[in-house]
Amino acid sequence: MSDLSARENKHGQPVAPPPLLSVEGVSVRFAGVKALTDVSFQVQPGELFAVIGPNGAGKTSLFNVFSRVYQPVAGRVTFAGRDLLQLKAHQVARAGIARTFQNQGQFPTTTVLDYLLLGRHTRMRSGILFGGIYIGMTRNEEKTNRAYCMHILELVGLQHVYNAPLGSLPYGLQKRADVARALALEPKLLLLDEPVAGMSTEETEDIAAVILDIKEQLGITQILVEHDMALVMGIADRVLVLDFGRVIAQGMPAEVQADPDVIKAYLGEEFGSGVTDTLPISTDDKH
Amino acid sequence: MAYFIQLVFAGVALGCIYALIGLGFSIIFKASEVINFAQGELLLVGAYIVSAGVFALHLTFFWALLLGIAGTVIIALLFERFVMWRMIGRPVFSILMMTIGLGIVLQTFVIWIWGSNPIPAATPFGVTSGFNIGGVHFGTNDIWTIIVTAVVCAALFYFFRFTKYGLAMRATALDQEAALAVGINIRTVYALAWGIAAAIATIGGVFLAIDSFAIDPTFSSTALLAFPAIILGGLDSVSGAVVGGIIIGLAQVLTAGYESRFANVLGAGIHEITPYIIMILVLLIRPYGLFGSRKVERI
Amino acid sequence: MSVSAPARKSPIGAQPPRLLSSPSRWISVCLALIVVIVFFVVASEDWLTIVNYTLIAAIAALGLNVLSGYTGQVSLGIAFFMAIGAYTAALLGGTPPSSPGDPLGFGLSFLIWLPAAGIVAALVGALVGPTALRLKGFYLGIVTLSLVFIGEYIFLNARGITGGPQGRTFPVPAIGDFSFDQQNTIFGVTLTPGQQFFLLILPILALSALFVYNVMRSRAGRAFRAVRDNEIGAAIMGVNLFEAKMGAFILSSFLAGIAGALYASYTRYVIPDNWNLVLSIQFVAAIIVGGIASIWGSILGAFFVFALPQVIDHFSLVPPSSGSGGLTSGDLNALIYGFLIIVFLLFEPGGLIGLARRSQALLRKFNRHGGEGGEPAEITDLPSASDAQRDVGDSAVTRGEGA
Repeated sequence: MSDLSARENKHGQPVAPPPLLSVEGVSVRFAGVKALTDVSFQVQPGELFAVIGPNGAGKTSLFNVFSRVYQPVAGRVTFAGRDLLQLKAHQVARAGIARTFQNQGQFPTTTVLDYLLLGRHTRMRSGILFGGIYIGMTRNEEKTNRAYCMHILELVGLQHVYNAPLGSLPYGLQKRADVARALALEPKLLLLDEPVAGMSTEETEDIAAVILDIKEQLGITQILVEHDMALVMGIADRVLVLDFGRVIAQGMPAEVQADPDVIKAYLGEEFGSGVTDTLPISTDDKH
Repeated sequence: MAYFIQLVFAGVALGCIYALIGLGFSIIFKASEVINFAQGELLLVGAYIVSAGVFALHLTFFWALLLGIAGTVIIALLFERFVMWRMIGRPVFSILMMTIGLGIVLQTFVIWIWGSNPIPAATPFGVTSGFNIGGVHFGTNDIWTIIVTAVVCAALFYFFRFTKYGLAMRATALDQEAALAVGINIRTVYALAWGIAAAIATIGGVFLAIDSFAIDPTFSSTALLAFPAIILGGLDSVSGAVVGGIIIGLAQVLTAGYESRFANVLGAGIHEITPYIIMILVLLIRPYGLFGSRKVERI
Repeated sequence: MSVSAPARKSPIGAQPPRLLSSPSRWISVCLALIVVIVFFVVASEDWLTIVNYTLIAAIAALGLNVLSGYTGQVSLGIAFFMAIGAYTAALLGGTPPSSPGDPLGFGLSFLIWLPAAGIVAALVGALVGPTALRLKGFYLGIVTLSLVFIGEYIFLNARGITGGPQGRTFPVPAIGDFSFDQQNTIFGVTLTPGQQFFLLILPILALSALFVYNVMRSRAGRAFRAVRDNEIGAAIMGVNLFEAKMGAFILSSFLAGIAGALYASYTRYVIPDNWNLVLSIQFVAAIIVGGIASIWGSILGAFFVFALPQVIDHFSLVPPSSGSGGLTSGDLNALIYGFLIIVFLLFEPGGLIGLARRSQALLRKFNRHGGEGGEPAEITDLPSASDAQRDVGDSAVTRGEGA
């Protein structure tokens, strides 16, 4: 286990902090498909945790369980001490879990800034009545939150397109706006659903830098679902490998990379030892 | 007792009409997930053409019927080809309104050409022809309604089960992308669906006209009553449309027959909304209807 | 590109959209006011009548846009809620029955029955909402449609309130002895009924429009649009779908109730048959033609669908029709908006407002490139982030910020 925070028990020995997210024995079935079977793992606060696996391995199903879009037939999920499966879909965001979308284009006419403000929906209070009156509470709320969202846009470098409809942006910027929107929630846990799918090497490097900065500068726990092995191995603290809905390996990137089951799942039987290159991203400060 | 049987017979006949109209909705929905709100107006146009054929052009009923079917099928195919095809992937609201728009245009054309006063309906048989059994009159027109409905259903059943295009339509209804991948021509499937629906609409319209003795432009709103029928039966089920139609027809006629006895409590005209009450109950309790398979969108 | 520590200065774009944000806005508002005043003074009673009906319709169209345009909930039920508002007004404000068989009325002031019309309609919306809004798309459309029919049945039979099939008279706003439906002289100025109603209806419409505008530029409005665009995505972002839909439904019903009461009051006599499906469809046509999710679109659309037939009549553009052929102005109007529904949905889903915005964008592009023309983009082109960086110059951005 990586010891990201040095805590000691009363005997002066290092103690692992309680996990932020705990998944125990989760199984998901629908329409005759076994999407997930007996999946268990834990994510520590501040960690960059990756879930990888071939297509159809169940990675997005896992996120859908967290988002309460899927109801597991078995298992428990505990988030920050609470039973996540008791929550309804819209309560998950309020609890502090933000999620990006695998595909973009759900909100093409929404401007980037409005999108982030939507991300702050649970952090704002105006309803219809106060909104209609506007003067007073709502106007102040709008001003404050707009400023906050513009600040986030600056952090990710999108402030110049704050007024552009999402649909008009190149795909890479849409994905970046999506990450910004998730950040706007001030989440305790950030779920990144295939953040670099369909991107060029340069765009991938950009996103990877953002993800690392979120971890190092903002200290937010992240779970990353990807099947770009190279990216994941380069930046993740720990990795979980799914295949056909089951966990086949978990641990540090290097261990997982060398795991024969993992190699078999990705490359087939013939390949003996895994020789996968990591992406040449340096994790030190880019300034 | 005779009264009750008379009502049942009338209800079944009316139900068959609803079934025919509902089948039209069902077929288009099965093929393309579109609800054609203009089905009632297609029915209207068909009935008007048939009447015009008989009274203005002095054709026999049979040829007038063919003319009516041809007319509505052409309209449906043109609309599908040039308008609905471009609406694929658009939100439900837009598609729905699009068909409503077509309905409005069709109805206004009918008023333009034939005026808003009622015109006589074309009936192949005299209104009073038929036979009596034990005080119950079985009208010939009603009997034909039931027979033709049964024939149409059998024909559709055969079509969907055993013909190449019927199979293609069912495949498209199940999974459009897969159908495309297998090489099914979706355009043909859609066109076929609209064409068949239009033909059935005309037949239903003709029987409805016979039932009402005269037709006027507000006729098309009767078609709305087919919605409760197909929701009760299940939106994507052919047998459901028939069963649902008959149940709704029965419910309506029986209510109409006995409502005067409850006028103190229920007032007048409850038979007009009985279908909708049934429909709402169905949507609350069992949204996919008696035979439907799709999951109704719910939160 | 980097995610760095908080920036120090106030960033651009922090200001929420404001109604009167620039001098040109102020000028437009002043011009509009002048037009309104001039119209008020010189217009004939006929024209005032047409405009008054349009303004009333605009309130209901606004309500429908809130529910269907902004929140994406299909509804064919607006006629029902207008009726609820109208009959609430009738019950509370109607003259007390003078003989048995007369419809009920409590003779209260319009300051009570007008808001009450909206509130009662909203309450009915709150009652119906939880059931209806569980459904989506076509199913919701059908259920709202059946509301209209069920409503017709109820109104036909509730003679005490509605007057049964023959209908009833509706109360007229009055302040003391001054009744709005008669000419009155105040401070030496004579006002016609049309003018008085205009003075009542226009501010109500303006307030409603302002309210809706405010809602849409705040948290609730963003939630509405999110529900319309992608429900599951909205829920994942924390939007309570049920609350959002209910809120839209209630606000929409409130506005419809107010409009219904005003319409009945202005018309003075309404039969239950008037609150029918065709009326609902006309309002949906209005927001499609005028512009979905647009305040000005609601008003424009209302004019198109409700004022046009009267304008046609006024100028006798249509030969008189007989029962056996030819169109009345109402039919011609139906043909026009039916056709326009098809055309707009096919080519310009944004309605007339969408057209206006596109031509604006086209003009802007024209000016920038000195007449190069080209495709009018629905969304204007953007400079890339690195271009903008060069323009802005001094923000703390790192080299890798491109694309």
